[in-house]
Amino acid sequence: MYGGSQNDGNSLFSGGGFMPSQATQTPDSGVSPAKSRGTQGVLPLTVKQISEAFHSSDDKSGFVVDGVDASNVRLLGMVTKKMERVTDVSFTLDDGTGRIDVNRWVNEAAETNEMAAITNGMYVKVNGNLKGFQGKRHVVAFSVRPVTDFNDITNHFLECIHIHLCNTRLQRQSGDQGQLQTNPIMNTPLQSGYKGHQTPVSNQNSAPSSMGGSENDIYNLVLGVFQEPASVASEHGLHVDEVARRLGIPMNKIKDAINYHVDIGHIYSTIDDNHFKSACNG
Amino acid sequence: MDTSSPAVFVNADLLKVYQGRRVRAVVQVARDEGATMVGQSTDGHQLVVKGSPSFPPSHFVEVIGIADGGQSIRAEICTDFGTSFGAQEYNQLCVLANGELKSLFL
Repeated sequence: MYGGSQNDGNSLFSGGGFMPSQATQTPDSGVSPAKSRGTQGVLPLTVKQISEAFHSSDDKSGFVVDGVDASNVRLLGMVTKKMERVTDVSFTLDDGTGRIDVNRWVNEAAETNEMAAITNGMYVKVNGNLKGFQGKRHVVAFSVRPVTDFNDITNHFLECIHIHLCNTRLQRQSGDQGQLQTNPIMNTPLQSGYKGHQTPVSNQNSAPSSMGGSENDIYNLVLGVFQEPASVASEHGLHVDEVARRLGIPMNKIKDAINYHVDIGHIYSTIDDNHFKSACNG
Repeated sequence: MDTSSPAVFVNADLLKVYQGRRVRAVVQVARDEGATMVGQSTDGHQLVVKGSPSFPPSHFVEVIGIADGGQSIRAEICTDFGTSFGAQEYNQLCVLANGELKSLFL
């Protein structure tokens, strides 16, 4: 849909996250976790954050927000100054924190119709590719959809806050690196590394002495189990009993740890109060 | 790109801080007095909105405008958010956006 041939698509979006070629390339190349995260999805941002994003001029789409690649972004705001041309529609999006120009190429009837429904003064959700050209930043949109439930506005900005906190906390943790206590929240590439450090600890469980260890260790162990790829892939997540069985830690400690991670937002309950899943993956 | 005139998320409490500045607040319409509208802010106080169009009572309306006195806003843009809107969540967002996470918004 986004460009008939691959070449067209790539030149338009310069490797947007929706291009399948990109998605398959990045995991193999072993790039920095930040980079591959960005290409996995769209990053909810405020215009203010974009205005302060670091832009490395050598890379085509080298925007970085909170240490994370911000080439694909999600914005929510009000449409102003809409202009329709033959091949594209442009408008200025005002999200209350600032204004940014948005461009949407219209090649197909469906895209034309989508854009025809957008009018000035309307709240819209924009998914797009962040571009910098001659110092000016703008967004080339993949989709522009009207907001129908206005709670989405609150939700979007809370999401911006949540992602910002997740990413900055992650940085702070890797700042005092060395400690394997760091939780690789939202950082899939690190998972294999995490698993590596998990093995010795599960041996530790058989030794009762380890129970005296700090609560943090148990918290990290529990989170580690939830962040294993198999757990992330499972639709309903993991049952509490399963976690207890795998770690060999008493149920009350497991529940403490789970409550902690639910409060923090690392994991969430799924089909019932006994099934939990990692919130920060996939 | 222009971040020179943001509209700050406010409730009645925070409105006082932004005298003469551009703000955005959600009010639940209590009564319409022609050119002005009286409503309840998301933190439960009364707010006066000057120069707004009419909206049905009990609808939530987002008002973007200039903070004009401690309890009123001079409206520039009003958007009807309908009757089912999470005022409490919005109020929390106002608090967060003016607290330690201000840098994301202002």
